[in-house]
Amino acid sequence: MNTQRTLAGVHDLELVTLGRTGDRAAFGELVRRHSSAVRALLRRMGADGATADDLAQDAFLAGFEQISEFRGEGAFRTWISRIAARSYARRWRREARAELLADGPDADDPQAGFGVGAGADARIDLDDALKTLSDPERVCVSLCYGVGLSHAEAAAALNAPLGTVKSHVKRGLDKLRSHLSPDGDGGQRRQVSG
Amino acid sequence: MAESSFEFQLERMFAESPAAPDRELFTLRVVERLDRGWTARRVLIGAMGALGGVIGAYEIIGAGVTGQVAAYFVQANDFLARHVAASVSGALAPGGIYVDVQAIWLAGALAIVAAGFGLARLVREI
Repeated sequence: MNTQRTLAGVHDLELVTLGRTGDRAAFGELVRRHSSAVRALLRRMGADGATADDLAQDAFLAGFEQISEFRGEGAFRTWISRIAARSYARRWRREARAELLADGPDADDPQAGFGVGAGADARIDLDDALKTLSDPERVCVSLCYGVGLSHAEAAAALNAPLGTVKSHVKRGLDKLRSHLSPDGDGGQRRQVSG
Repeated sequence: MAESSFEFQLERMFAESPAAPDRELFTLRVVERLDRGWTARRVLIGAMGALGGVIGAYEIIGAGVTGQVAAYFVQANDFLARHVAASVSGALAPGGIYVDVQAIWLAGALAIVAAGFGLARLVREI
C-alpha cells in the first residue's frame, strides 16, 4: 500500500524505466492507471466482459515482457492499447466472424448480432452507437480511432485487404455520425427520452 | 460537421473511459500473474542450472579431468615452494621469516576475488 502511494505521483515514463529493471510494483501502477481504458477499448471492439478482461491481462503481461521496446515516443496507454487491440484483432480474425470481413463490406448485415441500444429511453453514447455497427465495422473503426492505427496498419492487423478495411471504416463512420450527431438517430432518441 | 472534426471528436470519445470499479482487483490479478511468472522462471532457471551442473560434473569426472587438474596443482605447488616462496620471503622478510606456500595461494585467491568485485563494480557503473 505504501509502495502504491509512493508510486501514485510518478510519471508513466519513470514507471516504465523502473519496469524495465523488473520492478513489478512500478508496472502494477501502470496497470492500475491504464487497465480501465484497455478493458473499455476491448469491450468497444466487441469483446464480452470476461474476454476483454482476459485479453487485457494478457496484453499487460506481454507489455511487461516487451517493455524494452517502448521508446516513450507516444503515451504508454496508446502503446499497451495497441498490443491489446492487435491481440483482439488476431483472435477475432481466427474466429468465424472473420468470414464477414472476407466477404467484403456489402455482405454483412449492419445490425448483425447487436441490438440498436438498451431501449428508447437509453442515453446514446459511444458504446451504444458502436453496437449499431456490424462486427467488421466496429473492429475496423476501433483499430483506427480507438488506438490510432492507420488503415494500412489495421489491414495488416486483420490480415485483410486495405480497400475492405477502408470501406468498413467509412461505413462505420457514417453510422456513428448519424447516431452521435444531434440531428441523427441518437439526437431524436434523446429528444424522445427527454 | 466536418469529417475531420467528427473524427477528432470520435478519437476523444474513445480516449474517455471511466475508471472501472474493480480496477484494484484487476491490477492485483495481473501483478499476481507477473509474480507467478517470475517465480516459475527462477525455479526453471535454477533447475536447468542444477541439471547442467550435474551433467557437467559427471562429464568432467568421466573424462579424468580432475586427475589432470590435481597433477597440475601438485606441480604448481612444487614450483611455488621451490622458487616463488623463497623469492617472496627474501623480498618481504629480509630478516629470515619464511613465507608459506599456502600464504601465496591464499593471496592469489584473494586477488582473484578482489578482481571479481572490481569487475562487477565496473560493469554496474557502465
